[in-house]
Amino acid sequence: MDTLYLPQTQRSPLVELDAANHRLRIEGESYPEDAAAFFGPVMRALDEYLDAVRERPPARELIVDLRMLYFNSSSAKALMNLFQRLESTARDGVEIQVNWHYDADDETMMEFGEDFSEDFAAARFSLCVSDSHVT
Amino acid sequence: MPMASEYFDFHQRMLGQGVIFSFVGYVSEGILFSLGEALKQKMRLEATDANVTKRVFSIFVEQVQNIIRYSAERIEAESGLPSEMSSGMITVGHDETHFFVVCGNIVRRAEGEELQRRLAQLAVMDPDSIKAYYREKLREPSEENSRGASIGLIEIARRSTRPIEFGLTDLGDERAFFCLKAFI
Repeated sequence: MDTLYLPQTQRSPLVELDAANHRLRIEGESYPEDAAAFFGPVMRALDEYLDAVRERPPARELIVDLRMLYFNSSSAKALMNLFQRLESTARDGVEIQVNWHYDADDETMMEFGEDFSEDFAAARFSLCVSDSHVT
Repeated sequence: MPMASEYFDFHQRMLGQGVIFSFVGYVSEGILFSLGEALKQKMRLEATDANVTKRVFSIFVEQVQNIIRYSAERIEAESGLPSEMSSGMITVGHDETHFFVVCGNIVRRAEGEELQRRLAQLAVMDPDSIKAYYREKLREPSEENSRGASIGLIEIARRSTRPIEFGLTDLGDERAFFCLKAFI
């Protein structure tokens, strides 16, 4: 399976799904004109990847790194969909580690991280606070 | 009154009310982006607390996207391309104590009444209930025809630091002017 790579734009985050190395990375701001249109291809690529690893669980875990600065409510809905897919795959026996990175000063992203953490049981979810400002 | 004085008067009155910017006309996603950038820039220059800036920006985005989605004056693109233009007004400012974001637009009366009903429901909730309601809505499958508005309204309520003010003025012919003012 190929790597999916969407570069960061002014209104949409960087998305990289590196299937060979079992890494997913989403970083930046997300308030695209049409969240469904933006996240649609991401979900399709992810589904394809998750189906493959469910079929044949890899020796190493899938590591998901999220480093969001801002997202609107439609993007929150998309992230929730993504997390539900990860959790259900983990329940089927695939090892998944989700890292939610946020800046120590960022109350909103910390709160979202705490919120999302409650949706994971089979997959591991870690809050990763950093002191450096990412702008 | 000479033209320049008339507009200077208008300009001064707006500034007197603490207006940072005010926009009336067709609202598109492009305008949302540009006004949003201007807003962030202005708040950065004034060294506004980054968390306050994020709250104001978030409320601004949800309100403007609501106008784009719900305005009854939307011009449907003949080509079917996503070039929605919705007529509305957006005002962002700062009064003695709070930032405020006001949005108004013409809606179908039934839609306006539905918006009021949802806002009245949010108005009686405390912050913890709003947070729990947001979590609940986020986990629900998307509602048909809603185009995500209800979660947007909850986001506005969640980021507000004072109760949201809202109202509807009947324009007859099944239309009404809907207005929402949020404070941060």
